[in-house]
Amino acid sequence: MGKQATEMLKGTLEGIVLALLAGRAAYGYEITAWLREQGFTDIAEGTIYALLIRAEQRGLVDVEKVPSEKGPPRKVYSLNAQGQDYLNEFWRTWSFLSERLEQLREGGR
Amino acid sequence: MWIEKIVGDLGGKKRYRAYRERVRRLPEGYREAALALEHYLLNLGPSGDSTSLMAMLDDLADLLEQGVAAGTPLRDVVGTDPVAFVEEFMQNYGGGSWIRKERDRLARAIDRAETKEHR
Repeated sequence: MGKQATEMLKGTLEGIVLALLAGRAAYGYEITAWLREQGFTDIAEGTIYALLIRAEQRGLVDVEKVPSEKGPPRKVYSLNAQGQDYLNEFWRTWSFLSERLEQLREGGR
Repeated sequence: MWIEKIVGDLGGKKRYRAYRERVRRLPEGYREAALALEHYLLNLGPSGDSTSLMAMLDDLADLLEQGVAAGTPLRDVVGTDPVAFVEEFMQNYGGGSWIRKERDRLARAIDRAETKEHR
Protein backbone atom coordinates (compact mmCIF):
# COMPACT_ATOMS: atom_id res chain seq x y z
CA MET A 1 0.00 0.00 0.00
CA GLY A 2 1.57 3.27 -1.12
CA LYS A 3 1.86 6.53 0.76
CA GLN A 4 -1.01 8.08 -1.18
CA ALA A 5 -3.32 5.20 -0.31
CA THR A 6 -2.35 5.51 3.36
CA GLU A 7 -3.10 9.24 3.35
CA MET A 8 -6.46 8.77 1.64
CA LEU A 9 -7.40 5.95 3.96
CA LYS A 10 -6.92 8.14 7.04
CA GLY A 11 -10.15 10.04 6.54
CA THR A 12 -12.24 6.99 5.78
CA LEU A 13 -10.83 4.43 8.20
CA GLU A 14 -13.31 5.27 10.93
CA GLY A 15 -16.23 4.71 8.55
CA ILE A 16 -14.72 1.47 7.31
CA VAL A 17 -14.36 0.13 10.84
CA LEU A 18 -17.88 1.18 11.85
CA ALA A 19 -19.27 -0.42 8.68
CA LEU A 20 -17.48 -3.64 9.64
CA LEU A 21 -18.95 -3.49 13.14
CA ALA A 22 -22.41 -2.96 11.66
CA GLY A 23 -22.09 -6.44 10.17
CA ARG A 24 -20.99 -8.13 13.35
CA ALA A 25 -19.32 -7.52 16.69
CA ALA A 26 -15.53 -7.86 16.72
CA TYR A 27 -12.45 -7.19 18.79
CA GLY A 28 -9.56 -5.02 17.67
CA TYR A 29 -7.28 -7.70 16.32
CA GLU A 30 -10.03 -9.26 14.17
CA ILE A 31 -10.66 -5.91 12.53
CA THR A 32 -6.97 -5.35 11.79
CA ALA A 33 -6.65 -8.88 10.41
CA TRP A 34 -9.68 -8.39 8.15
CA LEU A 35 -8.32 -5.09 6.81
CA ARG A 36 -4.97 -6.72 6.06
CA GLU A 37 -6.72 -9.50 4.16
CA GLN A 38 -8.47 -6.84 2.10
CA GLY A 39 -5.11 -5.42 1.05
CA PHE A 40 -4.73 -2.65 3.62
CA THR A 41 -1.37 -4.10 4.57
CA ASP A 42 0.09 -1.01 6.24
CA ILE A 43 -2.62 -0.71 8.88
CA ALA A 44 -1.13 -0.84 12.37
CA GLU A 45 -3.07 -2.64 15.06
CA GLY A 46 -2.44 0.32 17.35
CA THR A 47 -4.16 2.67 14.89
CA ILE A 48 -7.32 0.56 14.90
CA TYR A 49 -7.16 0.32 18.68
CA ALA A 50 -6.91 4.11 19.04
CA LEU A 51 -9.82 4.52 16.67
CA LEU A 52 -11.95 2.10 18.68
CA ILE A 53 -11.16 3.92 21.92
CA ARG A 54 -12.38 7.15 20.32
CA ALA A 55 -15.55 5.52 18.96
CA GLU A 56 -16.22 4.18 22.45
CA GLN A 57 -15.70 7.59 24.08
CA ARG A 58 -18.07 9.17 21.58
CA GLY A 59 -20.74 6.58 22.34
CA LEU A 60 -20.81 5.07 18.83
CA VAL A 61 -20.09 1.52 19.94
CA ASP A 62 -21.01 -0.76 22.81
CA VAL A 63 -18.23 -2.67 24.49
CA GLU A 64 -18.26 -6.02 26.18
CA LYS A 65 -15.25 -7.44 27.99
CA VAL A 66 -14.76 -11.09 27.14
CA PRO A 67 -12.18 -13.19 29.02
CA SER A 68 -9.43 -14.64 26.80
CA GLU A 69 -7.35 -17.76 27.36
CA LYS A 70 -4.11 -15.86 27.64
CA GLY A 71 -3.56 -12.18 28.15
CA PRO A 72 -6.01 -9.51 29.30
CA PRO A 73 -9.75 -9.72 28.56
CA ARG A 74 -10.70 -8.76 25.04
CA LYS A 75 -12.95 -5.80 24.41
CA VAL A 76 -15.58 -6.81 21.89
CA TYR A 77 -17.13 -3.87 20.04
CA SER A 78 -20.54 -3.64 18.43
CA LEU A 79 -22.26 -0.74 16.68
CA ASN A 80 -25.12 0.87 18.62
CA ALA A 81 -27.97 3.12 17.40
CA GLN A 82 -25.90 6.29 17.69
CA GLY A 83 -23.10 4.60 15.78
CA GLN A 84 -25.55 3.55 13.08
CA ASP A 85 -26.67 7.19 12.67
CA TYR A 86 -23.06 8.23 12.39
CA LEU A 87 -22.40 5.49 9.84
CA ASN A 88 -25.39 6.60 7.73
CA GLU A 89 -23.95 10.10 7.73
CA PHE A 90 -20.57 8.68 6.69
CA TRP A 91 -22.13 6.88 3.70
CA ARG A 92 -23.95 10.04 2.61
CA THR A 93 -20.66 11.96 2.75
CA TRP A 94 -18.90 9.18 0.90
CA SER A 95 -21.51 9.15 -1.88
CA PHE A 96 -21.17 12.90 -2.32
CA LEU A 97 -17.38 12.70 -2.44
CA SER A 98 -17.18 9.76 -4.81
CA GLU A 99 -19.74 11.25 -7.22
CA ARG A 100 -17.85 14.55 -7.36
CA LEU A 101 -14.54 12.80 -7.93
CA GLU A 102 -16.00 10.58 -10.63
CA GLN A 103 -17.29 13.71 -12.41
CA LEU A 104 -13.81 15.19 -12.26
CA ARG A 105 -12.26 12.06 -13.71
CA GLU A 106 -14.72 12.11 -16.59
CA GLY A 107 -13.60 15.64 -17.31
CA GLY A 108 -16.81 17.22 -16.13
CA ARG A 109 -17.17 20.34 -14.13
CA MET B 1 9.94 10.73 40.64
CA TRP B 2 8.48 13.68 38.72
CA ILE B 3 5.64 11.63 37.28
CA GLU B 4 4.32 10.95 40.78
CA LYS B 5 4.04 14.69 41.36
CA ILE B 6 1.79 14.89 38.30
CA VAL B 7 -0.18 11.75 39.02
CA GLY B 8 -0.85 13.28 42.41
CA ASP B 9 -3.18 11.59 44.88
CA LEU B 10 -2.62 8.20 46.46
CA GLY B 11 -5.05 6.39 44.15
CA GLY B 12 -3.32 7.84 41.11
CA LYS B 13 0.09 6.82 42.41
CA LYS B 14 -1.11 3.29 43.02
CA ARG B 15 -2.52 3.11 39.52
CA TYR B 16 0.70 4.44 38.05
CA ARG B 17 2.77 1.87 39.96
CA ALA B 18 0.46 -0.88 38.70
CA TYR B 19 1.02 0.40 35.15
CA ARG B 20 4.82 0.34 35.65
CA GLU B 21 4.56 -3.22 36.87
CA ARG B 22 2.60 -4.24 33.76
CA VAL B 23 5.27 -2.68 31.56
CA ARG B 24 8.02 -4.42 33.53
CA ARG B 25 6.41 -7.79 32.80
CA LEU B 26 6.34 -7.27 29.01
CA PRO B 27 8.95 -9.12 26.93
CA GLU B 28 12.06 -7.10 26.21
CA GLY B 29 11.27 -5.60 22.78
CA TYR B 30 7.74 -4.69 23.77
CA ARG B 31 8.99 -3.25 27.05
CA GLU B 32 11.45 -1.00 25.27
CA ALA B 33 8.71 0.15 22.92
CA ALA B 34 6.41 0.85 25.89
CA LEU B 35 9.04 3.09 27.48
CA ALA B 36 9.61 4.96 24.22
CA LEU B 37 5.86 5.46 23.68
CA GLU B 38 5.39 6.56 27.29
CA HIS B 39 8.21 9.05 26.91
CA TYR B 40 6.50 10.61 23.90
CA LEU B 41 3.04 10.54 25.49
CA LEU B 42 4.21 12.12 28.75
CA ASN B 43 6.00 14.90 26.92
CA LEU B 44 3.31 15.74 24.37
CA GLY B 45 0.19 14.24 25.93
CA PRO B 46 -2.20 15.27 28.71
CA SER B 47 0.38 16.36 31.26
CA GLY B 48 -2.04 18.71 33.02
CA ASP B 49 -4.75 16.13 33.65
CA SER B 50 -3.86 13.11 35.76
CA THR B 51 -7.11 11.24 35.06
CA SER B 52 -6.59 11.46 31.30
CA LEU B 53 -2.93 10.61 31.75
CA MET B 54 -3.63 7.43 33.69
CA ALA B 55 -6.47 6.35 31.38
CA MET B 56 -4.05 6.79 28.48
CA LEU B 57 -1.26 4.76 30.06
CA ASP B 58 -3.67 1.98 31.08
CA ASP B 59 -4.99 1.80 27.52
CA LEU B 60 -1.43 1.66 26.21
CA ALA B 61 -0.64 -1.24 28.54
CA ASP B 62 -3.84 -3.03 27.40
CA LEU B 63 -2.82 -2.69 23.77
CA LEU B 64 0.71 -3.97 24.35
CA GLU B 65 -0.37 -6.88 26.56
CA GLN B 66 -2.91 -7.93 23.94
CA GLY B 67 -0.23 -7.73 21.26
CA VAL B 68 2.05 -9.98 23.28
CA ALA B 69 -0.76 -12.46 24.03
CA ALA B 70 -1.67 -12.68 20.33
CA GLY B 71 1.98 -13.05 19.31
CA THR B 72 1.76 -9.94 17.12
CA PRO B 73 5.13 -8.61 15.94
CA LEU B 74 5.81 -5.24 17.56
CA ARG B 75 6.01 -3.57 14.14
CA ASP B 76 2.47 -4.68 13.35
CA VAL B 77 1.26 -2.99 16.53
CA VAL B 78 2.95 0.38 16.10
CA GLY B 79 3.09 0.34 12.28
CA THR B 80 5.65 1.69 9.86
CA ASP B 81 5.04 5.20 11.19
CA PRO B 82 5.03 5.06 15.02
CA VAL B 83 4.57 8.83 15.27
CA ALA B 84 1.34 8.67 13.26
CA PHE B 85 0.13 5.90 15.55
CA VAL B 86 1.04 7.67 18.79
CA GLU B 87 -0.55 10.95 17.65
CA GLU B 88 -3.74 9.12 16.68
CA PHE B 89 -3.70 7.40 20.06
CA MET B 90 -3.12 10.63 21.99
CA GLN B 91 -6.04 12.44 20.35
CA ASN B 92 -8.42 10.39 22.47
CA TYR B 93 -7.43 12.03 25.72
CA GLY B 94 -8.12 15.45 27.13
CA GLY B 95 -5.78 17.66 29.09
CA GLY B 96 -3.14 20.07 27.94
CA SER B 97 0.47 19.84 27.00
CA TRP B 98 2.50 22.83 25.91
CA ILE B 99 1.78 22.07 22.27
CA ARG B 100 -1.98 21.79 22.82
CA LYS B 101 -1.96 25.04 24.79
CA GLU B 102 -0.24 26.73 21.90
CA ARG B 103 -2.84 25.38 19.44
CA ASP B 104 -5.68 26.63 21.66
CA ARG B 105 -3.95 29.98 22.02
CA LEU B 106 -3.68 30.33 18.24
CA ALA B 107 -7.35 29.45 17.73
CA ARG B 108 -8.44 32.01 20.37
CA ALA B 109 -6.18 34.69 18.91
CA ILE B 110 -7.74 34.23 15.45
CA ASP B 111 -11.24 34.33 17.01
CA ARG B 112 -10.36 37.67 18.62
CA ALA B 113 -8.81 38.98 15.43
CA GLU B 114 -11.95 38.03 13.51
CA THR B 115 -14.15 40.17 15.79
CA LYS B 116 -11.94 43.16 14.97
CA GLU B 117 -12.12 42.61 11.23
CA HIS B 118 -13.78 45.39 9.14
CA ARG B 119 -14.08 47.59 12.16
